[in-house]
Amino acid sequence: MAAIAEQVSTTELRPAAAGRNPWALAWRRLRSNRIALAALGLFILIVVVCLAAPLYAHDLAHIGNPLSPNLNGTTVANGKVVPIMQEGGGILHLGETPIGPTWSLGHYFLGADGLGRDVASLVLYGGRASLQIGLASAVICCVVATVFALIAGFFGGLTDTILSRIMDIVWSFPVILLAICIATVLLTQPNGVKVGFLTIYATSLWVPTFIIALIYVPYVYRPVRGQVLSVVQKEFVEASIAQGASNFRLIFSEILPNVISTVIVLLPLITATNILTESALSYLSVGVQPPNVSWGTIIADGQDLLYTRPWVSLAPGIMIVLTVLALNVLGDGVRDALDPRAKLRVK
Amino acid sequence: MLAVLTFIVRRSLWTVVVMFVITVVVFFIFFKTPGVDPARALAGRDPSPQVLAEVRQQLGLNRPLWIQYGIMMKKIFITRNLVSYSDQGELIIPEIFAAAPITLSLVFGASVIWVVAAIVMGVAAARLRGTIYDPVLMILALIGLSTPVFWLGQVVILITQVKLHSSIFSWVQLGYTPLTQSPVKWFEGLIFPWITLSILYIGLYARVLRANLLEVQNEDYVRTARAKGLSERRVLLRHTLRTSMITFLSLFGLDFGALVGGGAILTEVVFGIHGVGFLTWESLTNLDLPTIMAVVIYGAFFIVLANALVDVAYAWIDPRVRPT
Amino acid sequence: MRHILTRARNLGTRKPGLTGVAALSVLAIAAAGCGSSSPSSSSSPSASTPQSGGTFTILANSSFGVADPAQNYTLQEWQLLIDTHDGLVGFAMTGGIAGTKIVPNLATSVPLPTNGGKTYVFHIRSGIKFSNGTPLEPSDWLTVFERQFTVPGGNPGFYSDIVGASACSTKGCNLSKGVVANNAAMTLTIHLTQSDPEFMDQLSLPFAFAVPQNTSMHLTGNNVPPGTGPYMWKSYNPNTEAVLVRNPYFHVWSQIAAPNGYPNEIIEKYGLPVSDEVTEVLNGEANEVFDGDQVPADDLSMLNSPKYASEVHVNTLTADWYFALNTRTAPFNNVLARQAINYAANRSAYVKIAGGPSLAVPACQILPPNFPSYVAYCPYTTGKQTVWSGPNLAKAKALVKQSGTYGDKVVVNGTNDTVGTELAEQMVSDLDSIGYKASTQLLSMAVQYPFIQNSVNSSKWNVAWSAWYQDYPAPSDFLNVLLGCGHIVPNSDASPNIAAFCNQGIQNQINTAESIEAAQPAKAAAMWTQIDHEDTNLAPWVDLYNPKQIDILSSNVHGYKWNPQWYILIDQLWLSK
Repeated sequence: MAAIAEQVSTTELRPAAAGRNPWALAWRRLRSNRIALAALGLFILIVVVCLAAPLYAHDLAHIGNPLSPNLNGTTVANGKVVPIMQEGGGILHLGETPIGPTWSLGHYFLGADGLGRDVASLVLYGGRASLQIGLASAVICCVVATVFALIAGFFGGLTDTILSRIMDIVWSFPVILLAICIATVLLTQPNGVKVGFLTIYATSLWVPTFIIALIYVPYVYRPVRGQVLSVVQKEFVEASIAQGASNFRLIFSEILPNVISTVIVLLPLITATNILTESALSYLSVGVQPPNVSWGTIIADGQDLLYTRPWVSLAPGIMIVLTVLALNVLGDGVRDALDPRAKLRVK
Repeated sequence: MLAVLTFIVRRSLWTVVVMFVITVVVFFIFFKTPGVDPARALAGRDPSPQVLAEVRQQLGLNRPLWIQYGIMMKKIFITRNLVSYSDQGELIIPEIFAAAPITLSLVFGASVIWVVAAIVMGVAAARLRGTIYDPVLMILALIGLSTPVFWLGQVVILITQVKLHSSIFSWVQLGYTPLTQSPVKWFEGLIFPWITLSILYIGLYARVLRANLLEVQNEDYVRTARAKGLSERRVLLRHTLRTSMITFLSLFGLDFGALVGGGAILTEVVFGIHGVGFLTWESLTNLDLPTIMAVVIYGAFFIVLANALVDVAYAWIDPRVRPT
Repeated sequence: MRHILTRARNLGTRKPGLTGVAALSVLAIAAAGCGSSSPSSSSSPSASTPQSGGTFTILANSSFGVADPAQNYTLQEWQLLIDTHDGLVGFAMTGGIAGTKIVPNLATSVPLPTNGGKTYVFHIRSGIKFSNGTPLEPSDWLTVFERQFTVPGGNPGFYSDIVGASACSTKGCNLSKGVVANNAAMTLTIHLTQSDPEFMDQLSLPFAFAVPQNTSMHLTGNNVPPGTGPYMWKSYNPNTEAVLVRNPYFHVWSQIAAPNGYPNEIIEKYGLPVSDEVTEVLNGEANEVFDGDQVPADDLSMLNSPKYASEVHVNTLTADWYFALNTRTAPFNNVLARQAINYAANRSAYVKIAGGPSLAVPACQILPPNFPSYVAYCPYTTGKQTVWSGPNLAKAKALVKQSGTYGDKVVVNGTNDTVGTELAEQMVSDLDSIGYKASTQLLSMAVQYPFIQNSVNSSKWNVAWSAWYQDYPAPSDFLNVLLGCGHIVPNSDASPNIAAFCNQGIQNQINTAESIEAAQPAKAAAMWTQIDHEDTNLAPWVDLYNPKQIDILSSNVHGYKWNPQWYILIDQLWLSK
């Protein structure tokens, strides 16, 4: 990828580039980066496939809700009707094993999980949750971090010190502990917890979304604050101050446009990180709660079936790797396009 | 010199503040979590209300929270006799010290692998720039960065314990054996956890190193070295690599500290290695406050220590860097 | 009052699968009864004459926590304590239903109470020494009983009827009025404040096992005080192993209560993942997989191989896995709604979650099979009303309509480990199928039991998973402890009647049955059967199944016996060369 960065930079040096709108330029650079475009295509494909989950599940209409247990159900494999849960053999008949992959679409393509549910449709529905959490938390995180960074960088002094110190503490806080405590507190409130006009229920996807958004705020805050500090000292800002522009105007129309590219570069990378974090929290059973499923919860459930039915955890894991890889490649491409001078920098 | 000292002192004071805030927050969150009554947990099954009241009294649970916090800190730092809420026979400090060598074994082995592999990959990619190998290596590095470690662990277990267990991996046993007991078993039990844990860092470090190498390549002194007619290899080893390793090593210091402090939780959980990360996970699921507090402090200590060492080293090398 | 938590304590690790763990799930597969089911009980045919010697090695995923017998309430330690310590009386150390019989141990006979059931006089055997050489004396029990109060958190008030106990606390205890020892005459007299038909059962538990009178009145932590049994504790480290060696002062005084053991040494090792334990035992590198460890589903298929048929034993436990229905609030304050979900619950699905019919038996009633007063009964099924054969959805839906609770919201509380989550999701599905709007509330295992057992939280859930393993074979241990009016404690975090079910008519019968227990055991037994069926009709729970338990032994182990109280009898196993 950096080789590509290299190519991009040569294109960028052409004199034609000078004087154009920087966003159009960036877009042109991104368009000429074929690997980044392929990554974008892959990511969109994954999103579309997951959004189309009900279409696949429609095929499974015979089992009703694809997320509810189907322990006593049957399916068709090799033209024969077979039970989804199969009793152990031998003399003792210990254990019940879910059916393995049939590789026939609509009939337990990837087999069943411990509750007799179709793994393929779980992976599609799980993808919706994982993607939603990843994207939403990245957006929330970036917005919150940018607002704090603008305030801290613009006002400086004590405000800056306090905000930066709070960020340091959030950064060193044990994430899993926070997730467990919040989940436990919420779970024991059946009517949800009211936060302002919002009511948050424990099983809501917004719980992991907010937790993940919170823990990565400092990660975005630091570079953006640095940007703000350097922009504040530029002449055009000083000029605006001299003209008596309001603080609000200064922040949003003078400074923000100059730091937004940093945020945009970070966005796909944060989304990727957040999808990984969601899966880790769900694996430790403090992320997504039933009846919702996510790629992380499917992998966690699949661990008990790893030896006999490895596809239960293989399939969502492959989806995570593809999605996160696509976002990382895309993130590299966006960075190279927006900020060619930093082409060789990582992180 | 004095500046460096001042810096160290400021740094340490700030560290104490961070740890204080974190422990206070953990402590109060815990006591606000419903269903978590340490007296209830200690009083056994179906205790009578009197027994509960007595246990509460005995543990000081009916005293103000800040006094309880003080008592707990005293038991961690001074008397060192903090006892688990879920097992009153268990002294927590020795338990952590028993788990520490296990985590250290895991992290040490993994770090050897990732440092060597990342240097090889990063240098190779930089040297091979312009060929197809560079982007291929970097895509591999990105795949490493994109793989959830617990899932990778499952795949490794699947391969070594099921798919190929009867053929090439029959020697692989999960579970930790102390080095002093049997170095061979220690190695056999840890080699796959090492690899699993190192993949992410190989990807990360290879990318960082490659980028640094390319950046340094254009610096004057490297050009000078080349102009002197030194071989490309000599330039790389003597000049470029050396300079680039500064970032590499400071990153390494931070990551190593975080992992030794219990950051390898997912790897430890998926492989069932009972190190500090596993202990953390166990205490969290049991909501065993004393253990949680102790592992949080333990982990924070290493993170902060690593941070401080890296900062001090920087401040020493480069007086311009004297961060707040 | 053994809740599943007794064994769940170490389970921390449970979820992340392979490694293990135990706990609860453990139980998921576990089980007990009196082994009617499987190729158990008989020892292997090659077993000719029992021989002493060798080291018997048990592999357990995790330890049993604190070792002080006054505080430990886990079957895991009890299985070892019965080999190292003895009580005044005890359960017969034999397999099958005979193992529920209480026989004299350190006392020469099981005394009948006098003074209206309030006084017991024991004659203590002489010539018995503790493993440190100190002779056993009746006054040792004063320490034993006083320690029940000065060491907090052990038993749930089993001995609180002893005269003087009400003034005891963790600060101090004086039972000299209630426990009167005459060391010269070797007699021990115990005075109770009220008669207790289960007192002999309670004396048979390790809480009341003899320890020397100079034992500390405080928690001894992980040091086990000396005992009188055939073995003694050499060491215990919860992170590595427990080692039991022969007690040099032991001699046999009762073959049935305290027989000598066969192995020279018993070692219980901690920390391996369960699937590795299974492999090692099947390879003969160790002798037993601790029966509380949950065998991963992946390994079950291996155990099905005919090759291992003589090394694997399955027994039904006298235990219930159930969902308690919150009778305080709508919709389940309505008996029709409670009956509806009982008709709708698809017990064969729950059994599959537990590992299939070979690992769990579907149940409708409170008392488990092979338990005193048990008579098979199941009103909530399609076929015959004795065994469950299938859900009756039509009837269930009709009852929901009739109760006027259609469309109500229902919160299903459970644990967040794999099995717990699956059970809760199946319950949600069953509730949805008859028109409720159900959702889950899954808590970590360490939190869930204290949470639902705390009556303060009763407005926060409608259906709560729980499980109960007998303390001793007495029907009141289920019917009174879990469903008696006296066991609802408002505003308390120790309210074992989770459903808060109270029916005054049934309570009167319970009181009568308890009072006539000693004098008219047959009549009392019939009453308990009646109470069990009446409770079942009023549906305070959805009973799911009675779990079974797997014992895995290496091929050189012989003499397997399964005791309904203690399960596997470790020191009665012998090793062939």
